[in-house]
Parts: sequence; C-alpha cells; structure tokens
Amino acid sequence: MAIRSIIHLFDPMPHNSPFDLNMAADAGFDVLLPYSNVKLEEINGLVQDAIFSRGPTGVKRTGFFIGGRDIGLAMDMLAAAKNAMVSPFVVSVLADPSGAFTTAAALVASVEKQLREKHGLELQDRRAVVFGGTGPVGLATAVIASLAGAHTTIVDHLSIEVALQKADEYNRLCGCVLHGTYASSDADKARLISHADLVFCAARAGVEVLSADVLADGQKLKVVGDVNAVPPLGVEGIKRMDNGAPLQYATHSPNAVGIGALAVGNVKYQLQNRLLALLLETETPVYLDFRDAFQKARELV
Amino acid sequence: MDKVFILHMFTPEKNLSPFDVNMAVDAGWGSTTPYTRLEVDEIPALVQDAIFSRGPIGVRRTGIFIGGRDVKTALDMLSLAKKSMVPPFEVSVFADPSGAFTTAAAMVALVEYELIKYGLSLEGANVLCLGGTGPVGQIAAVLAAQSGAYVKIIGRQLEKAQAVAALCNAEYGGGKTKIEGDADANKQDLILKADVVFATAAAGVQVLSSELVAAAPKLKVAADVNAVPPSGIAGLDPFNKGTAIKGSNSGAVGLGALAIGNLKYKVQNKLLTLMRHQNRKNDKPVYLHFEHAFEAARSLIKKS
Repeated sequence: MAIRSIIHLFDPMPHNSPFDLNMAADAGFDVLLPYSNVKLEEINGLVQDAIFSRGPTGVKRTGFFIGGRDIGLAMDMLAAAKNAMVSPFVVSVLADPSGAFTTAAALVASVEKQLREKHGLELQDRRAVVFGGTGPVGLATAVIASLAGAHTTIVDHLSIEVALQKADEYNRLCGCVLHGTYASSDADKARLISHADLVFCAARAGVEVLSADVLADGQKLKVVGDVNAVPPLGVEGIKRMDNGAPLQYATHSPNAVGIGALAVGNVKYQLQNRLLALLLETETPVYLDFRDAFQKARELV
Repeated sequence: MDKVFILHMFTPEKNLSPFDVNMAVDAGWGSTTPYTRLEVDEIPALVQDAIFSRGPIGVRRTGIFIGGRDVKTALDMLSLAKKSMVPPFEVSVFADPSGAFTTAAAMVALVEYELIKYGLSLEGANVLCLGGTGPVGQIAAVLAAQSGAYVKIIGRQLEKAQAVAALCNAEYGGGKTKIEGDADANKQDLILKADVVFATAAAGVQVLSSELVAAAPKLKVAADVNAVPPSGIAGLDPFNKGTAIKGSNSGAVGLGALAIGNLKYKVQNKLLTLMRHQNRKNDKPVYLHFEHAFEAARSLIKKS
C-alpha cells in the first residue's frame, strides 16, 4: 500500500482555519493535522520532529502549511521551517496566512491580465493604490504589485503612522518599495485615485470604500479590483462576478474596467488547490510564499 | 474522485472526547479535525470559514460536531452555527455534549419500551431522576417530561437541583415542561410514588440502596447509566435488559448501563451517518440534538 500523505498545519492563532483544512483535504492530503497556538520558536522543533519518521520516500508524502493572520510572522515561520530541514529529510512548505497570499496573487494577476488585454500595458511603472492596505490581503497585494514594478501606495483608513510603519516593515522584509498614507474622507480618497492607474480594494468585508462620486475623480483609472464579497461591496458599480466589465462610474477614465470578488475568488481557490497539490507532486522540495503564488496565478489566468 | 467527508469537531474543552472521534471515523467520516477551547462567540467566524471552500457539492460532504461537557453551551453553539450558514453554503451540525444527548435518548427510549410491555407509557408516569443535575440527567428529565411524565430532578443540594430543573424547563423544554427539583435527603418519601427511576449520577456512586428498592411500592422500571461498580441502583446489573431487579417488591425491571450503552452507540452512529447522507438534490442539511437522538432511539428499538 502506498504511504498515506500527511499535512501538518501550523497556526499561531487559537484555532486553525477550517477553510484551509477543507482545501488541504480536497487537494489530496489523506491525513490533516492541525497545530494551533504555535509560536515562531517552536517551528524548528516541530519541523525536525516531523521529518525524521518516514524515511526519504515518506518525506515526499508529507507537507507543511503555515497559516495565521500575520503575514510577517508567516514569512518568518516559513524561513524557520526551511532552515530546520536536514537533507535528505526535507519536506515542502506552503505559507498562506488568512489566505492572503493566494487572494492577493489572484487579485494582482487578474488585474494584470485586464491591464494587458484592455489597455496593452504592464504593471511596470503603473501607479497603484491599495485600500485596506495595512491588512493581510492588502499588504500582500501591495508587495506583489511593487515587486512587479508598480509604484505602490498602501492606504490605512485611520492612521498614517500605521501605514508608514507597515510600509517600512515590508520594504525591509520583502525588498519592495511601498509608500504609506491614510484616507479617512472621500476627499482624501479622491485625491489619491485622481492620478492612479490601478486601484486594489482589500478593505474589510461589508464596507464600501469607493463611491461613484469618488470614482468620478479618477482621471487615469485603468483597472480596479475588489476582494470584498459581502454587500455592500468595496467599489460602487463593480459586481461580484465582474471580470473586466466597464467601470461605469469612472466617468473621466475611458475604458476603465472592474474585477469583482467572486472572479478573484475563483482564481484564488484554484491557486490554493494547485499550490497544496504541488507540495505532494514536486520532486525537489519547495517553499512557497506570495512570490510563487503570484507566478502560478499568472499561469492560471 | 469524490471529495472526502470532513467532520470539523468543536469542543469548549481542552481536548476532544476520543469516544466521539472513534464514533465519527466508524460512521464513515474520512477526516476528523479538532478545534478545542472554543468560545461560543468564535462559532460564526469558524463556521463561515468552513462553509465557503468546497463549493455546493463539497458542503454536503462537510459537517460540524459539537462536543464538550455543558449542555447549554453546546445548544447555544448549535443554534449559533445554524444561524451562521449562508445558503447554499450550509453544512449539517450535530451536538452531543458528553454523549449526553444520545445516552439520555437511549435510556428514556428503553424505559418507555419496558413501560409499554406493562401496557403503560411515560404519559402520566412519576419519574425520579437521581443524580440528575449532570448532562445525562438533565436531558433524560427533559425527554421524559416532553413525553408527558411528571419528572423530579434529585440532587444532593436542593437549591442546585431546583436551579437545574428551572434551566431545563426554560432552555431545553421550550417552556412546555414542568420539571421540579428536590433533594437526596427526601428520597425515602419520593420513592413511595415513583413509577420510574433514572440513575444518572457519577460513575461508582450508588443513588438507590437495596432498602429504597424494597421500599418502592409502585416502581416499574429502573435504569442505570453507571457501568462502574457499585452500580447506581442496588440489585441491578450492567447487563440487565428488562430483567427483574433483585429485592424489588413491586416486580420492577432493570436496564443496565451496557444495555443502554449498546443502544446509545447505535443512536450516535445513526445520527453521524445521517449527516453524511444529505446527498440528494432536495436534501437539506440537518441540525441534530437530543430530540433527534430520541426519535432515532425509538425507531431503532422498533426495528430490533
């Protein structure tokens, strides 16, 4: 009988995410093992405990998943896990805290596709604004967009300090160039999008961030993407299933298009499934983060 | 390939009950994932996290089990879980804290079956629920009261027994039951009117002595869920299944813990299996608690 596949799911939160457990099962893992309340300094011990019991064939049928809500911590855990491996006892790892890496990768790849198809342009040198930019999905979106060459600004809805501190932190961590600012009023938002090419909306579910009035102030908008699937949606006029539909309220931005949360979600779902399956399929071990997620997302769209 | 059956197992306690995990696996759930130390207010987020990742087919192969030790917490979690569903993303949920729902259901259904042999029923019967302030006692009291019995929950402390009775009436009986609370110290008087006795105290505690068994003039059926010696009712053996109780002057029959446990096991298996069988197009997810366990126990007895 073939050795059964096992995934160990590490999570710093009190509970693992049932979403991730379902995804791991559907990607083909036979045995799901959740570990909650995991601390960064425990990763080394847990990983080394897991890699030695199944032999060189067994490690190929074993995987690690790193969840949680904090993408910086997840990156640190991923690095600690990689560092803990002892060749040839090496196991593949996927980090996807809050699903943020796969959601952000799906969002940016979907926006990039529309930018190419509708405007013949690349992410390189575009001006991008990320609302909800200090949360997990917003930050991952901003990092991916910045590394792809876009001039990217993260927006906090309350605090410029938080925005600047997060931009600084992730610039150091990921080698990107993020700017930080805040926008608490429609006037702030209008000023921010007036010269933006791309807008990513990754704010909290059930909050409308951009109204029709604000969208009308955009002079150069090309693609706007929203990941909020709970009404009211994040951007007025973008429906959940939209995937390149005209952005009707961006009256001063000809040919601007929108992408809705379910269109992004559909790519995200396939992407997470592919990355989890890759942990079992790969011949040489892989350590997957938002960069790999974005690369796969580009192939998928 | 069909998607695997995944059961997300929730408990407010530090650990899941291994009993429940074994039962879930034997009922055909392919994957059982534990969530421990859960608070009631964490339920909506976890439920919504669970329902959205597998699509409309996947939700039919996904379920939630609620364990723990406290009846009210489990029922609160069950109703909050039900409210958190977003149709068509909706999964079946089954609550059975401490196995109390299925144990109580099995016991009450077996007692009812013995009463029927006498040409009687629970309707109008006087029931004493001894050691009745725990989860099994509470639910046994509610099920008997819902079937028309006059039920008293008996505990060591009068005030606690009365508080538990009030909780049962308000929270579990839907305001339709009139369960009363009374103290152990009054057992000698109370036993004179009792038709039925449930012994649901902690394992190894005898709640009905041989003197009290002999002094019960109307006793017809006594049931005991304690499988650890000494038995909860003097003269009753764990294997008894409608067997005459030694020392009873009224010819009462006994139901022992292993007879009850055998049916409890089948009831829990049936409900865990039922959750997996909502596969036809118009099937709706099920939300299962003690009333469904009682229904299952009655129908299993009928078939045997």
